[in-house]
Amino acid sequence: MNTIEERLWSYIDGTCSEGERQAIDTLIATDEAYRAKFEELLSFDQELVKMEADEPSMGFTYNVMESIRAEHARQPLKAAINKKIIRGIGIFFIATISLMLILMLSTLHPTADSFSVKLPDSFKVTNLTNLLNGKVLSVFFFLDTVLALVWVDAWLRRRRAKHALKP
Amino acid sequence: MQSKLSDIALIEQTLAGDQSAYADLVKRHQRFVFTLAMRFCKNREDAEEVSQDCFIKAYRSLASFQGQSKFSTWLYSIVYTTSMTFLRKKRVDTDSIDDENTYIQLENQSSGLNNNMAEKRSRSYYLNQAIGQLLPDDAAIITLFYMGEQSLEEIGQTLGIEANTVKVKLFRARQRLKEKLERSLKEEVKELI
Repeated sequence: MNTIEERLWSYIDGTCSEGERQAIDTLIATDEAYRAKFEELLSFDQELVKMEADEPSMGFTYNVMESIRAEHARQPLKAAINKKIIRGIGIFFIATISLMLILMLSTLHPTADSFSVKLPDSFKVTNLTNLLNGKVLSVFFFLDTVLALVWVDAWLRRRRAKHALKP
Repeated sequence: MQSKLSDIALIEQTLAGDQSAYADLVKRHQRFVFTLAMRFCKNREDAEEVSQDCFIKAYRSLASFQGQSKFSTWLYSIVYTTSMTFLRKKRVDTDSIDDENTYIQLENQSSGLNNNMAEKRSRSYYLNQAIGQLLPDDAAIITLFYMGEQSLEEIGQTLGIEANTVKVKLFRARQRLKEKLERSLKEEVKELI
């Protein structure tokens, strides 16, 4: 930055250093051409300061708020569901599984020779080997893959939106 | 009547579900957002559409506003990106105004306006006209600096450039604006003679 105008604009904007400011002060006081340029730029600067903002239409705020309300009304069910309900369901399942585990562990009778689990007589266990055939496993893995892809997609979208609007 | 609460307080109320608080935020910033959009779009209809879009986007992302910068700086960065996307979509010619055809077009446009609005031929009127003839980036920097009361650093944040680059760009934008204003005023004097 070395032209007269550049130095004067820094001086007017208050972005020059203290030493530079003092040097320009002296130049304005002693140099006629410098002073004339300074006055010209200062008057232009003051005109810019006085500029007024444009006014949007009368119903601008109303239109914005209406669009927001309409958007809320169009909100998909997925987004409208209360997260507390989902958490409640989750807690219920976790509690049930935990209770079952506790029940099972309480029936364990480990000894030095053998390790056996005694389930209550009323508790009937289905033979799982019949269920775990190739078809069931394929469906299970397919669903897992789809769920993983959905989760990755949602995560990437959130990340991109966050990066785009981060101040 | 506009709320006297700070932007942050209004944001907190909005996030707590009070939509009227957001309406207050819109009222507070709408004039400047609209003016900034005008600098890019060059016409009221498009600027109004872009401004509305910006406020809706800001509302959607309000929870992600971290308060590290001023709300206005964050909002203006949304205006900048939305306007740029809008310009790309509309394929508006953002070539230099010094291009002969564009200049003739704008000259005719402004003289048409002048015939109907002779009473508004004040220096500030010509100043606004000259800003309208600047490149969108130049006009935006001048508007952010003078009307938006944004520092060079904040403008840099909004436009995604360094503060020093903003300083250089601001200097050049003011130079170009001064030239255009002087040219417009000379034309006016010639017309009067």
